Amino acid sequence: MTNTMVLSWVTFLYFGAFVFYLFRLVFGKEFWGKAAFYAVLGGLGAHTLGLMLRWKESYALGIGHAPLSNFYESLIFFAWAVVMLYVIVEWRIKNRSLGVFVLPAAFLLMAFASLASGISDRIQPLIPALQSNWLTSHVVTCFMGYAAFTVAFAVGIMYFLRNIPLFSFIPEAHILDELIYQNTVLGFVFLTLGIMTGSVWAHYAWGAYWSWDPKETWSLITWLIYAVMLHARYVRGWRGKRMAVLAIIGFAAVLFTYLGVNYLPGLHSYLQS
Amino acid sequence: MPKQKNPFWSFFASVYLTITLLVFTVVLSIVGTFIPQQDAARGFAQGIPSGLASFLQTMQAFDLFHSVWFFLLMLLLSLNLIVCSLNRWSLTWKQFRGSPISGEEGLFQGLSPERIFLCDEDVGTVTGRVEGLLNRKYRNISSNQEKEDTVIICGERGRYSRFAVYVVHLSVQLLILGALLGAYWGWEGYVNIGEGETADAIDLKGGKGTKALPFTIRCDKFIVAFYENGVPKTYRSDLTFLKDSKTLYQGPLLVNHPISLEGVRVYQASYGSSPDGRASLAFPRGGKEGKIIKVGPGEIFSLPEKEGTVQIVRLEENLMQMGPAVKILVRSGQGEVSFWIFQHIDKIREMNPGVTEQVPMFNPALFKPYVFVLKGMEERYYTGLQVSRDPGAPLVAAAAVLMMVGLIGTFFSSHRRIWIKIQPAGEKTKISVAARSNKHPVVLDREVRQLTEQIKVSLEKGST
Ligand code: HEM
Repeated sequence: MTNTMVLSWVTFLYFGAFVFYLFRLVFGKEFWGKAAFYAVLGGLGAHTLGLMLRWKESYALGIGHAPLSNFYESLIFFAWAVVMLYVIVEWRIKNRSLGVFVLPAAFLLMAFASLASGISDRIQPLIPALQSNWLTSHVVTCFMGYAAFTVAFAVGIMYFLRNIPLFSFIPEAHILDELIYQNTVLGFVFLTLGIMTGSVWAHYAWGAYWSWDPKETWSLITWLIYAVMLHARYVRGWRGKRMAVLAIIGFAAVLFTYLGVNYLPGLHSYLQS
Repeated sequence: MPKQKNPFWSFFASVYLTITLLVFTVVLSIVGTFIPQQDAARGFAQGIPSGLASFLQTMQAFDLFHSVWFFLLMLLLSLNLIVCSLNRWSLTWKQFRGSPISGEEGLFQGLSPERIFLCDEDVGTVTGRVEGLLNRKYRNISSNQEKEDTVIICGERGRYSRFAVYVVHLSVQLLILGALLGAYWGWEGYVNIGEGETADAIDLKGGKGTKALPFTIRCDKFIVAFYENGVPKTYRSDLTFLKDSKTLYQGPLLVNHPISLEGVRVYQASYGSSPDGRASLAFPRGGKEGKIIKVGPGEIFSLPEKEGTVQIVRLEENLMQMGPAVKILVRSGQGEVSFWIFQHIDKIREMNPGVTEQVPMFNPALFKPYVFVLKGMEERYYTGLQVSRDPGAPLVAAAAVLMMVGLIGTFFSSHRRIWIKIQPAGEKTKISVAARSNKHPVVLDREVRQLTEQIKVSLEKGST
């Protein structure tokens, strides 16, 4: 299928962008920064195209649905959202040093999707319970949230590396702090929306908006961790290191919600196939 | 205020308490995903030492999300929220109503140079222009003649965002309330109804007995369609809801499209086929194609030349992943023989050459000279319905909407105030711009920069 071919090329573009961002640091030439950004833009364009193609191909197969229904597709969309958000952040803060930390997340997701055994990249037909627009909005909002948390996590890591001479290019602490906060807020709003749309879907499909299945419970855990983080900052004035730690803990919860719970039984384990 | 001194009050007004409670909720939830809960707990409890199992049982660890612990946490969180909100309310109200003109001490001290500039117009003209500009984007514009020829104009924006956080917290309250209502007064259960049959009670989830429904459900027909790979594509039941033998409602029920009736919601949850379907069998004798008969489980028929009788022992929709099969028992003068007849025997032979020799039970020609052929199986479906009632759901839905509105107000809006001082400076007029915001300093900065630009542009335009 063309879409999987396009998408596997995207992986290389993102990897290339990462390497260019590294060159920019090593050689200190802005040329590499520009090259990296164009590689990211090219990758994002191809990525978007790949998603559209996949959508179209699913209709050609007579089982048309948005490419957001199985594990492979969720990984691809996750990576897309991370890169999309990264482009916006780089463009807004006019600083390229984040690329070295965010792009690995994107190409690892893409590489995992295409290489890991047991992840089928086939376009599969939807069982009736998954045929719902609420499910589509659920997946979109959740992964936008995850993407924002991924960026916050990357900035959190940068926070701890910034005193190492090798990483002297990392922006000042207060800029990092602001970035962590903004991305956390964005992630929190999207995660809230994601949980809500998921509940609406569950309400129509399963007969209860909330059933405490492990995936739901872990999304609530993640949400609460970020709620703690926002209160600690806003009301208790926590900044810098503590926020970076919380961004990392929060991201661990995101990962467990996304991948870890698939090893526990529950409704959402459809993602395993 | 005396209430600040009250230890009860100050305990519940603390955000440390909030953080502690949220962390406890996180811990409890994590435990709840590692210890099997509710239905899953039964098997688990049998596999661990009985002392531990009964300890966990008393601690309500097998239904943590409906336990006293969880309830207590939610109760404390609610109290915490209420006290916190009341505590901060008067301050918020003051900030909301406070006339911006009174400003603060030192508002204009230490302004960055970009926020101070000079122009040629006189104070009166500048005041007019600035007021005109502010009026476009700001509210509650007021001006104040400080000294004889010094004017301060001020305006504000986003005043109402001060309440957004209260909206978020109110929504959390409603959410907890709605969830509790659902947990204590709601119920959930399942019922299977065969085509043509009726049901007026359901089995409650978690083995909590049965519940009578306020109506009777009849399944008139069940229809399922499959994709090519055998995965179900759509399924639906045509249902009739009856009360006192009158029809309340009649219509199809589809997955993702529940029917709501008398406060009860009915969902298409699953389906299956009853074991009392019928099989189409042929039994050619010595290569001659015979007739096809339809038989159900337990039925007996005789073979054409009175060579024996055949009884249908079992019907399987998918035996050992090899497709439909029937087990028959042939009684004849030579005794009894029992074997399976697969519908897809040719394919099975192709994939496992020699299987019918190795496993005589799978050989459809075991009773010579007949070769039994399973032409197909007619299934009788039943529909699996989930039935539930949740009086808290509307409250939870309202809470969700409020929460989104509140979050957007909290995070993407702020209360910004601008003060512009206009005073003579020799031949010229000096303009200073001061601003305050309750959050997002970066956004405020950008806004002030834009405003100063606009003022400069408008004054230049006026002078040419
Ligand atoms: C899960 C429950 C809760 C959620 C989702 C929540 C959400 C929020 C949010 C989004 C903010 C704004 C933070 C910011 O601007 O960065 C906030 C602020 C705040 N929260 Fe909560 N909150 C919760 C529980 C509580 C509780 C129980 C208390 C009780 C003490 C509390 C006290 C506060 C206070 C005092 C503020 C600052 C308000 C202000 O002056 O602007 N929160 N909360």
